[in-house]
Amino acid sequence: MHNSSSGPPAKPRVGSSQPSEASFKRKRGVFQKDLQHMMYGFGDDPNPLPETVALLEDIVVEYITDLVHKAQDVGSKRGKLLTEDFLYLIRKDPPKLHRCTELLSMNEELKQARKAFDVSEETLANAD
Amino acid sequence: MKDPFEAAVEEQESPPESPIPPEEEAGGPSAAADGDEEEVEARSQPAASAPLSAAAGGGRAKEEDEEEEEENMEELSKIPSGGDPDKLAKMQAILSQFTEEQMSRYESFRRSGFQKANMKRLLTSITGTQKISVPMTIVVSGIGKMFVGELVETARIIMTERKESGPIRPCHIREAYRRMKLEGKIPRRSVPRLFR
Repeated sequence: MHNSSSGPPAKPRVGSSQPSEASFKRKRGVFQKDLQHMMYGFGDDPNPLPETVALLEDIVVEYITDLVHKAQDVGSKRGKLLTEDFLYLIRKDPPKLHRCTELLSMNEELKQARKAFDVSEETLANAD
Repeated sequence: MKDPFEAAVEEQESPPESPIPPEEEAGGPSAAADGDEEEVEARSQPAASAPLSAAAGGGRAKEEDEEEEEENMEELSKIPSGGDPDKLAKMQAILSQFTEEQMSRYESFRRSGFQKANMKRLLTSITGTQKISVPMTIVVSGIGKMFVGELVETARIIMTERKESGPIRPCHIREAYRRMKLEGKIPRRSVPRLFR
C-alpha cells in the first residue's frame, strides 16, 4: 500500500481532525499504551477494546487541543503561554484545579529536594 | 457497605499519603504527596510514566527508584509522611482490604499517565512555536488524565444504566462525551472547526 509520506515515523491520518490553522501529522496510537493502563485504572477491562482506546485518544487530543487554543487566547495579551493560563481555564473545575496545584507543588518539592541532594553530594565529593 | 475501591477513588481527591523517598529526606520534610507518585510511577511500566516522574532531574531519580523496585503499594502506604494522619489512616485501612484485582487496578490508576515526551511533542505541535515548559507538560498531563477518568467513569455509569457488561465500547464513550458536553465540561471552540 503506497503511503504518501516517505519518512518512517509520521503518517498522516486519513480524515483526521486537523485544525484549520496548524497542520500537524499525527501517528495513530501515540498514547495507546498509556491510555490502556489509564482506562483499566479508571474502571475498564484489563484489556480495553482497541477501538475504544483509539476513540479515547482522538477525544483527548481534541480536548487538549481546544484547551491549549483557549489558553493561548487567554495568554495572547502577554504574548507567552504560561502554566497559569491553564490553571485559569480549569478554575471552574475544582477536582482538576486541586490536582494540578498539587502536582505543581510536588514538582517544586522534588526539585528542591534534588537540588539539596546534589549540593550535599558535591560537598561530600569535595571533602574527599 | 461502601466499595473500598470507590472509597479509595474518592479519597484521591485530596493529596495522597505518599511518603518522601528516603534518599531525599534531606531536602523535603514537609507535607503530603511527593515521592510516592515518583517511585510508584517510575517503575517497571516502561510505557506508563507519570506526569511527574521525569521532573527536573529525570535520569538520576529513576535509577534510585529502580533500586527500590521491590516496594509495592502496601509497603508504600506504610511509610509515614507529613500528610493528614486521619486521611492516611483511612487510606491504609481501605488499601489493606483490597482484593488483588482491586489492588492491581488501583496501581494502574496511580501509575498510569501520559508520557512526557509524547505530551511535549503534542503540545509543541499544537502551539506551533512555543517552548513548552516542564510544569506545563505536567499540568496538561494531569488535566488529560482526569479527563480520561471522567469519560471512563461516565461510560461505566452508562453501561450500568443500559445493563450491559464487559469492556467499554465506543458507543459508551460517545454517549459519555455527549453528556459531558451538555454539562459544559468540554471546552468548545467559539468558531466551529471546519475541515475535519
